[in-house]
Amino acid sequence: MQDFDQPKLRRELLLDARAIGIPSGAAEDFVDRSITAAMSTLSSKSLITDQDLKRAITKELKKYHPDLAYVYQNRDKII
Amino acid sequence: MNVLASIGIVILAMVIMASLQLIPGVFALFFHYAIGKYSLRKASTLSLFFILGTEIISALLFISAFYVSYTLFLNDLNPRNNVLTWIFIGIFIALSIACLFFYFRHPHSKEDTELFIPRKLAYSLNSRAKSIRTPSDAFVLGALSNICELPITLPLYIITATEIMYMHTEYFADDLMTILYILASTIPLIHLYYSFRLGRNLATIQRTRIKDKIFHRFTISLSFLTIAILIICFRIV
Repeated sequence: MQDFDQPKLRRELLLDARAIGIPSGAAEDFVDRSITAAMSTLSSKSLITDQDLKRAITKELKKYHPDLAYVYQNRDKII
Repeated sequence: MNVLASIGIVILAMVIMASLQLIPGVFALFFHYAIGKYSLRKASTLSLFFILGTEIISALLFISAFYVSYTLFLNDLNPRNNVLTWIFIGIFIALSIACLFFYFRHPHSKEDTELFIPRKLAYSLNSRAKSIRTPSDAFVLGALSNICELPITLPLYIITATEIMYMHTEYFADDLMTILYILASTIPLIHLYYSFRLGRNLATIQRTRIKDKIFHRFTISLSFLTIAILIICFRIV
């Protein structure tokens, strides 16, 4: 069990966004919105698994940029 | 006819080398992270060193394979009635079956392209791809991913080296074949590199890789099987 590292998640998502070619201002805006929305969805749970977090953030990211959501969801399933 | 069989075996081996998915997968991840962290110019330099790493290891392995195949098939380069030839045929048939059913961890899944390699190794390659900083890191990652493919490529290197040496006794194209064989594994990397440069991203590339999963499995499997059949028909019978 480990504490949730929100700045690290944000950094990784912004890196993915930059790699995909999303302008940094827009990326910061919807990454922050997605993390906030996912946190509020999961706030009722005392214990959150990696998969719960991934699902919630993917669901939020899909609203703004489907490719970024796809990369976030699948980058561990490439090799 | 023997030369044609040799050329056929070498070309099929090139097809297999170009269809393998570990090096392109690592390269796609590495380039994605590189353009996320650095300028396109630096990412391009790093990718050049990655490709150089895979190529140099390919060349070194191939040179070693020449030595090994010369030692194994020393009896005038004609492996007729040689028990080792039957062992290699067995390996190729086994690889053909294994690649058809076990090359991808979830062969029928439309969500991933996870390969049947130890998960620790996959995570290690993934985290290395993420933390590339210098050209030497990229070079080592390229070399490492090439070495990780050895369980499939090693018998190919040996049999291709044997066929090229066999060709040498009657035909002149052996040097050209050697160079083409070494370059074959670079084709998907160059394709990926230009796909990224032309504006495609990891998501679109990964969707294409998922779509092509069945094609890659069957190509690799049928190529291995055809190599085994060619060896039986032209080197044994």
